[in-house]
Amino acid sequence: MPAITDKIGAVLVVGGGIGGMQASLDLANAGFKVYLVEKSPAIGGVMSQLDKTFPTNDCAMCTLAPRMVECGNHINVEKLTYSEVESIEGRPGKFKVRVRKKARSVDPDKCTGCGECMESCLVRNFAYLEPLPVEPLEPASDELDEVNRILEEHASEKGALLPVLEGINARYNWLPPAAVSRVSEALGIPLARVLRIATFYNMFSFEPRGEQMIRVCLGTSCYVKGGGKILGAVKRQLNIEVGGTTEDLKFSLESVSCVGCCGQSPVMTINDDIYGYLTQEKIPDILASYT
Amino acid sequence: MIYRTNAMICTCTNCISNGALQVKDALEKEIKKKHLEGDVKVVPTGASGLCVNGPILVVQPEGIFYQLLTVEVVPHVVEEHFLKGRPVKSLMYVPPGEEAPIPNIRDIPFFKNQRLIALRNRGLIDPDEIEEYIARDGYRALAKALTSMTPEEVIAEIKKSGLRGRGGAGFPTGLKWEFCRSSPETPKYIICNADEGDPGAFMDRSVLEADPHSVIEGMTIGAYAMGGTQGYIYVRVEYPLAIKRMKRAVEQARDYGLLGKDIFRRGFDFDVDVFEGAGAFVCGEETSLIASIEGRPPEPRMRPPFPAQSGLWGKPTNINNVETWANIAVIINWGAEWFSQIGTDTSKGTKVFSLAGNINNAGLVEVPMGITLREIVYDIGGGIPNGKKLKAVQTGGPSGGFIPSDLLDLSVDYDRLQEAGAIMGSGGMIVVDEETCMVDMAKYFLEFTTSESCGRCTACREGLQAMHQILTNICAGQGKDGDIELLNELAPAVEDGSMCALGRTAPNPVLTTLRYFKDEYEAHINERRCPAGVCEVLIAYSIDPEKCKGCMLCVKSCPQGAITGEKGQPQNIDQEQCIKCGACREVCKFEAVIVR
Repeated sequence: MPAITDKIGAVLVVGGGIGGMQASLDLANAGFKVYLVEKSPAIGGVMSQLDKTFPTNDCAMCTLAPRMVECGNHINVEKLTYSEVESIEGRPGKFKVRVRKKARSVDPDKCTGCGECMESCLVRNFAYLEPLPVEPLEPASDELDEVNRILEEHASEKGALLPVLEGINARYNWLPPAAVSRVSEALGIPLARVLRIATFYNMFSFEPRGEQMIRVCLGTSCYVKGGGKILGAVKRQLNIEVGGTTEDLKFSLESVSCVGCCGQSPVMTINDDIYGYLTQEKIPDILASYT
Repeated sequence: MIYRTNAMICTCTNCISNGALQVKDALEKEIKKKHLEGDVKVVPTGASGLCVNGPILVVQPEGIFYQLLTVEVVPHVVEEHFLKGRPVKSLMYVPPGEEAPIPNIRDIPFFKNQRLIALRNRGLIDPDEIEEYIARDGYRALAKALTSMTPEEVIAEIKKSGLRGRGGAGFPTGLKWEFCRSSPETPKYIICNADEGDPGAFMDRSVLEADPHSVIEGMTIGAYAMGGTQGYIYVRVEYPLAIKRMKRAVEQARDYGLLGKDIFRRGFDFDVDVFEGAGAFVCGEETSLIASIEGRPPEPRMRPPFPAQSGLWGKPTNINNVETWANIAVIINWGAEWFSQIGTDTSKGTKVFSLAGNINNAGLVEVPMGITLREIVYDIGGGIPNGKKLKAVQTGGPSGGFIPSDLLDLSVDYDRLQEAGAIMGSGGMIVVDEETCMVDMAKYFLEFTTSESCGRCTACREGLQAMHQILTNICAGQGKDGDIELLNELAPAVEDGSMCALGRTAPNPVLTTLRYFKDEYEAHINERRCPAGVCEVLIAYSIDPEKCKGCMLCVKSCPQGAITGEKGQPQNIDQEQCIKCGACREVCKFEAVIVR
């Protein structure tokens, strides 16, 4: 087949994996119009399912994500996802390709990728797996007794997870791993789900926190009146960052989005005590009164 | 037993933080010491409103208002006022810029210009005693509804009153109830949304702390109208006092047969539980709140189906805000016609605002709809402290926007605020003065919404982060041409691509600051200058040698030891060491520290 030298038209790349994307980008940056055909509904390919790559142990997402974003936005790359090549005719330099674009039944211009449709769909395929045998937890220590007591208290409630976690948090000021596993086991909720819910709320911590919880209010009123500077002063005084705990487990520092004490801004709370009308000057004395 | 005098001491969270409980103890002790315990009764009340000057004592029936009490002055007050009948002038309220104190609470402009409906009992009852609530017509509306009205009549009354949801969106309450009533499924759930997450807002907290029964009564009437059998009050965990008082109120109502089985022997059952939220802003969104109660990850979901059709545990559910519930009993008692006379054509009744920020009388105000911002800021709020100039008023928290000072005559109702780019919101009203940087404020709100976004919708999760990054760059002096245009382009994308109100309204603070304060953005980007002197990278502190008296206060306050100089001589700041914390400026009595 004789090639023609005055190339016309565009380039078609088949397969939207990491190789296809890189090829498309190189071509597109060189000024060619690129059609990127991918048979699955999204570009990214197998690499998007990998954590690390051989042999360098590079993070797969770090390599992949920038190229995906660039491919997604590039003006010269036209993506034909959920499509397959049916036939190729012509010769090098002038091909004619038939691509079958499968029906998505979703308007891609309007879709925000929220996943709501997937969740509401009644037709599902579940893979059946034999449930793994659950290792019984350590025989009851004091800690677990306490957790069991809290579980007992809420046993009859529907949706008991949050009240139980709040109970544990009130008792220990953080969520010890053993307690969380016990909750998961007792309520029959997978650990991953318990953690997903627990990490959603600002109130829970998975690290031990200090005896005194300092919460500097950064509500709008406090912010306008210098709450940020107060936070800075506390940080300097204790030499910890927000979310940190002093080495002697005396103080933990957090910021809070409002304690509803806007009349006395700027405000901070230490455990149950509220301090209003703060200035940076007052911070050392207040903290000293707790040592 | 009848007392000659009632000493109403405010025990809201604000006042407690200023030592109200200690003052109360001292007061009781002192009254006993003077053998006045048969004459004077000390009553702990919920928020009286003027939170900035707590602890507050109002002596009834004469209505003498004392502020900024301390344990030390208590014996003097008891001796002079309760024993000798001479009110103590030095503890009375003095309007800013004036000298003569105003003795009577009814004459203080802050209180005089308010109209109380939701807060009708504030400062007048002990929230822990149900009898005091009943004595002020409490539960009368419930009795009226149950014994003389059909559920349809109750809904018709609420519809006629024109009450709109006080949580922010302003949906007509009566209509919402009707939807829930017409849902065929049972049981039905009634929820009070007290997850007041907006930073700078504390209306709901005050209602719960000052008058918990008004919420219970409203919910019970609602349950009767809609056919609900179980109620939940979802309170955020940051409000321990509100939770405590609410739980106590629920127990008392149960004891009195006002909750539980066969209320008023009408065969109507209803009970309420208090549920503690764990601190996630998005839980204020109704579908997310429902998920939180059910123990699911609290992410919003698409509507429809609306909670009125499929809410808690898949059953019909009605959710209203604390303030909405607190209005219900009054409407039933006094009638829809009376209620609809207050306010404007489209917004009826009153609205509670938590007035805070750079304002003299920070506190809780309830005003009729249609009042102007000027009246709120100057007549009630007493203007801006330290002779500074007003720059803007922020309403609606992170979903709202900034209204510049030249729009001060704007009428406060749902629709006018929306036109100005802000929203009514739940009622946070933050006043900012000329020393507030609007770019920094926009960044502040985005920081909040970025961290509170649940991450479900890509547009909200990624878009807000991108906008926040641009604003951070601008504040750090790395703004570039095209940033403003990019912000204007991203904002509608975030609004359109988000499922719930958090994302749909999150760009508002940026849009309104861009609309009214574009010059500040331009100063940051083009001149690398922060006109308000806030953005740390763009400013420098220095000492004016003309004004400095060499008192060395700033030297002591400086955490870096960056200030040097002889005593009695003008001081000097070493710019290399300065971390721009502003401590020197706070302590300087001569305004000699200047920011550029």
